[in-house]
Order: sequence, then structure tokens, then C-alpha cells
Amino acid sequence: MSETIQSPLAHHFESLEKQAHAARLGMWLFLATEVLLFAALFAGYSVYRYLYTETFVAASRDLHTWVGLVNTIVLITSSFTVAWGLDHAARGRGDRTRLLFGVSILFALVFLAFKYYEYSEHFHEGQLPGRFFTYEGLGPGPGGPIFYSLYYLITGLHGIHVVIGMTVLAVVGWKAGRGRYTAEYHVPVELAGLYWHLVDLIWIFVFPLIYLA
Amino acid sequence: MAERGAVAHAEHEKMHHSHFGRYVNVLVALLVLTAATYLAARAHLPGGWAVAVALAIACTKGALVALFFMHLWDQEGANRLVFLTSLVFVALLIGFTVMDNATRFPLANPPGSAGALPASGFAPPAEGGERLMR
Repeated sequence: MSETIQSPLAHHFESLEKQAHAARLGMWLFLATEVLLFAALFAGYSVYRYLYTETFVAASRDLHTWVGLVNTIVLITSSFTVAWGLDHAARGRGDRTRLLFGVSILFALVFLAFKYYEYSEHFHEGQLPGRFFTYEGLGPGPGGPIFYSLYYLITGLHGIHVVIGMTVLAVVGWKAGRGRYTAEYHVPVELAGLYWHLVDLIWIFVFPLIYLA
Repeated sequence: MAERGAVAHAEHEKMHHSHFGRYVNVLVALLVLTAATYLAARAHLPGGWAVAVALAIACTKGALVALFFMHLWDQEGANRLVFLTSLVFVALLIGFTVMDNATRFPLANPPGSAGALPASGFAPPAEGGERLMR
């Protein structure tokens, strides 16, 4: 095997095909656990939205819908550029993959900038989770603080995923630009893309639940 | 290097048709559906319809992302099974939790006791009142 110094095939796999299959299956298993992680938060949201429907609807109307809308468009477009980057990796054009992953990271930065703007507005207004809640616009009762607890848990966890996704795209995009992947084997590009699409997928559900309630 | 030949053959298929056109179609569909969900929310549909429409559109968008951006459409069976299984558990968790909340009723305990609703025209005993329920 000494003639294939540059081969990405690990010694415990019989063939590249099997290695790619195992890597993909492992990634899907991981993504399934991610879905369940967010599902727990969405279940909590469902319960409290059911119990405090009016406050939740009022709190949702209080948010800047346009920020949520713009961020949805930004994330969907970034998902498209990541998919496009994979398309180039599949044809051995790692330099274009790097470029498109770079563009996706810029979109992610726009997303985070809007999120920062929103969070700073909330902090200013006293729209904080739990007992730190001092905002007066939602009337008495525990509905407001509970809405903002769930809001920060869901958007915060999603934001952490955006940052991790950007890091993954940066590392894999950089390696693709250095020619580390080929048309025959570019599974890391594919898996990095899968992670980013999941981040987009979760936001697709966050947007209507949080902003359009 | 028979295995390399097999991989090259499998990848050969991919190399010849780019998915770019498909990605553009999905992007346009996602943008249209985003506009649709925004306009539906602006219309303030009555009752539970607003949530139902918003979730139906979100599920359609999610399906487009999973099937075409994430290539579940042309994946092996095992990967599809893993993801679908996670969705089944999401449905179980959220479905049963919501059904539980939707079918609860206030306990039919006598007024003034623990767990009872305050009855109209009845002043519950102050501190130290009888607790009929343990």
C-alpha cells in the first residue's frame, strides 16, 4: 500500500466506497441526535404556547418580523451556496468550493450581525429570560418571561450551531482550496454541507414559531 | 485496484450531471415559500389555522432542504431510515405532549381544597384552611 501515500483510505476500511458509506451513515446518526435535541426545545415551546397562547402571540408580534424574514432568506441562500460548493467539489474544483464556502460564511456573519442587533434591543428593553424579565409591554403573568426563556434557549442554541457550522465550513473549505479532496473522494465536503443544511433546516422551523406566531 | 475502479464508476455518474439546476429550483421554491409564510402570517388567519398553515409551509421547506440540498433523495436506504426514525420520535414527543396539555381538565375537587378551581361566590379559607386532599 506504500504506493498510495496520498490516499484518503483509512487502513480499517476495505474500500473508499465503504469508508464513504460509513462516514455518511455516522453523520446522519449525529444529525438525528441534533434533531432530537432541538425537538425537546420545540416541545417545551409547544406546551407553554398552549398554556399562554395570548402572551406568546403578543410577544411574537413584538419581535422585528423583518429581521427574522431577512435572516431566513440569508440562511436559505447560504445553504444554496454550500450545495453549489459541493457540486464543484464533486468535479474536483476545490478552489471554487473554497470560494463558495467563503461566501456562505459571509452570509452566516450577516445572520449573526442581525441576531446581535436583535439581542441588544432585547437587553435594552428588559426582554430577558425568567426572573431577569423587566419588560412591561406584555402585561403581568409568567407568559412573557417564559416566552423569552424559550426564545433565548432556541435561538441561542441555534446561534451556537451557526458558529460551529461556520468553523467547519472554514476548515473544510480551506482544505478543499489546498486540493486535499478529489472528484473521487470529497466526503468531508459533503458532511460539512450536511451540517450547514441542518442549521438551515432548524431555522426554517424557528422562523414561523418564534416570529410569526 | 478494483475498488478504486468501482468508486470511480460510482462517481462517474455524479460527474456527468451537475446538480446546479436542481439547486436553483430548490432555492427559488424556498424563497417563494418563505414569502408565502410571511404573507399568510400577515393575513392573521382565524383560530388554529395560522399555526397549521405556518407549520405546513415549514414542513414543505424542510422536506425540500432534506431531500435535495442534503441529498436524501439519492441516498442509500440506511441514511433515509436514520433520519426518518428521528422524525418519528419528534412527532411522538411533540404530539403526545401537546395532546396531554389539550386534554387536561381542572381537578373536580370541592371548592377551597387543594387543586380545586376557585368557585364563584366562594371565598377560599385563608392561611391554615382545611386541606381535604393530601
